[in-house]
Amino acid sequence: MIRLRDVSLRFGNADRASSVQFRLPDFEVAAGEAVALTGSSGCGKSTLLNLVAGLRRADEGEVSVAGIDLATLSPAQLDRHRGAHCGMVFQTFHLLAPFTAIENVAIGLRFGARKRAHSERASEALRRVGLGNRLRARSDQLSVGERQRVAIARAIAGDAPVLLADEPTGSLDPDTGREVFALLREVAAEDGRTLLMVTHDPALAAELPRHFDCAGLVRPTTVAPGKEAPTA
Amino acid sequence: MSFLAMAWRYLRFRWLVTLLTVVGIALGVALVCAVLALRHESERALSREAGLYDLVAGGKGSPLQLVLASVYHLDSPTGNLPYADYERLRRDRRVLWAAPIGLGDNYAGYRIVGTEAQFFDLSDRGGHPVFQFSRGRIFEDRFEVVLGSHVATATGLDIGESFFGTHGLVDVPGGEVHRDFPYKVSGVLAPTGTAQDRAIFGTLASVWEIHETEDRLHSAIRGTALLADQREREVTAILIRLKTPGLRLWMADEIRKRSDGIAAIPINEILRFQRGVIGPVQRALLAVAAAVIAVACLTVLTTLHQAAERRRRDIAILRSLGAARGEVAALLFTEGLLLTGAGIALGLLLGHGGLAIAAGAIRDATGLLIHPWRMPDTEAVALGTMALCGAAASLFPAISCYRRTPIDDLHLTD
Repeated sequence: MIRLRDVSLRFGNADRASSVQFRLPDFEVAAGEAVALTGSSGCGKSTLLNLVAGLRRADEGEVSVAGIDLATLSPAQLDRHRGAHCGMVFQTFHLLAPFTAIENVAIGLRFGARKRAHSERASEALRRVGLGNRLRARSDQLSVGERQRVAIARAIAGDAPVLLADEPTGSLDPDTGREVFALLREVAAEDGRTLLMVTHDPALAAELPRHFDCAGLVRPTTVAPGKEAPTA
Repeated sequence: MSFLAMAWRYLRFRWLVTLLTVVGIALGVALVCAVLALRHESERALSREAGLYDLVAGGKGSPLQLVLASVYHLDSPTGNLPYADYERLRRDRRVLWAAPIGLGDNYAGYRIVGTEAQFFDLSDRGGHPVFQFSRGRIFEDRFEVVLGSHVATATGLDIGESFFGTHGLVDVPGGEVHRDFPYKVSGVLAPTGTAQDRAIFGTLASVWEIHETEDRLHSAIRGTALLADQREREVTAILIRLKTPGLRLWMADEIRKRSDGIAAIPINEILRFQRGVIGPVQRALLAVAAAVIAVACLTVLTTLHQAAERRRRDIAILRSLGAARGEVAALLFTEGLLLTGAGIALGLLLGHGGLAIAAGAIRDATGLLIHPWRMPDTEAVALGTMALCGAAASLFPAISCYRRTPIDDLHLTD
């Protein structure tokens, strides 16, 4: 389902005085597999996730998702591919404030799956994550745990075969985090979706059948004096 | 959920900024609409009225003053002409229609215009009669009068009722009331949409009689003698319609040479007045309105730019959900169009609504009947230009949004 081969990517630091290099010789995830991406901060976990989502493009090497080499896609095709194949869950939920829970999910469907009957599918996804009674609640009316459930509903509503979760429990208390993690695992397993989850929590990582240590993926590179490091 | 619905929800979410931006645009648009519509309507009404007469003859003085006093009942008359001049003009083969007017008195501020019966035979250039009676009839006795439609409404006078005229053309407290000469209403005219709606029409003979009697009284007081039959009867002005407008200059020149007065071409005087006096004021107002709109467009730009900056995270989220760059740019552009559209719609309503409210006061003050909801071509062009400016102002934030890469903005927290 996911394959990265001889991937390298260089991007600048905030001050652009130096740059870092992301290198990944080989990484494959089979369809339906659940993988925890672990490692210290800045080691390249999120960069790996973003490469798979097509939010970053590799300078070199191959990144394939669902059998499609992302390098061959135009920017617009890449956006559509992401919407159709990748459901994303973030640490800070990333719900759209003006909209209700059901609208947040429906908007995901509008741009992602681009299928009809958005409302029906959205409410079905919300019921599945236990929020059938909170369809019309805005994000500021939801608890943090509920917000993350809405984000999961948004990620699964469109039948994307790949779920990309970037520290989905990072902003939650341990109990809620565990509930959310269990939900994510459950829906991925039930639907046969591929789950790629970044986590700092070794206990959670240990519960997934496979974990990939990202340590050493990112290394600093030196920039010649007077030259500026490229940005991502 | 459609783009339009999403854009609307974002605008509603920050309702105060949205409201202030829309009101800012609306004020500029309202000002432009009101000025353009007022200009168009006043030009149309003034020209229509001035166009009814080819010439106005009167005593020496300013031609514009003569036109304003005789046609619009606004200014003081320039002086008098002998009645014999009117009789000569009436018999002239080049004259289609002529009517004398004699001014001197008012009732409740409305001028009493002494004239003759053929005054009411005037027709417009299309051959339709200008004056029609809503009730009653033309004056037959010397002290019978016909009321303009607005006078009847404003004073409450009706057929058979009487009133006294007051000396002078304006209503001033303590004015000399001609209590020996009661006027009786014989008819009320239908609205004409001209200044004549604000006039009271009586016989020229009544004007002469009142003022000759007054003159005799004043002479007696002063100890000087005055014989009525020694006086030459005079008129304040003569309104003239020629058989063809091409004779205007020729006739005007002839009147100047053969009488002791002047002849003015009303349409020329009014156009000169509009261009020379009203025009600069309108241009100044339009310049102010243009400045207001420019500021409003800048507000749209600033509002959307700030919205785009505040929504970097939201835009990045939409991108992560699969929205293309063009789609998020289109969303922002749609918001700009909604802001501009709402501002223009509200401005149209305010501008024309304001004019509708002011129409009554304008009619009472000037007699001009304006159609507040009629939109002149210039206004449509101005609105189109404003819509384009709004669209252009919306384009910049949309382009900036199009160029952004979502990756950095995704990590912005709530």
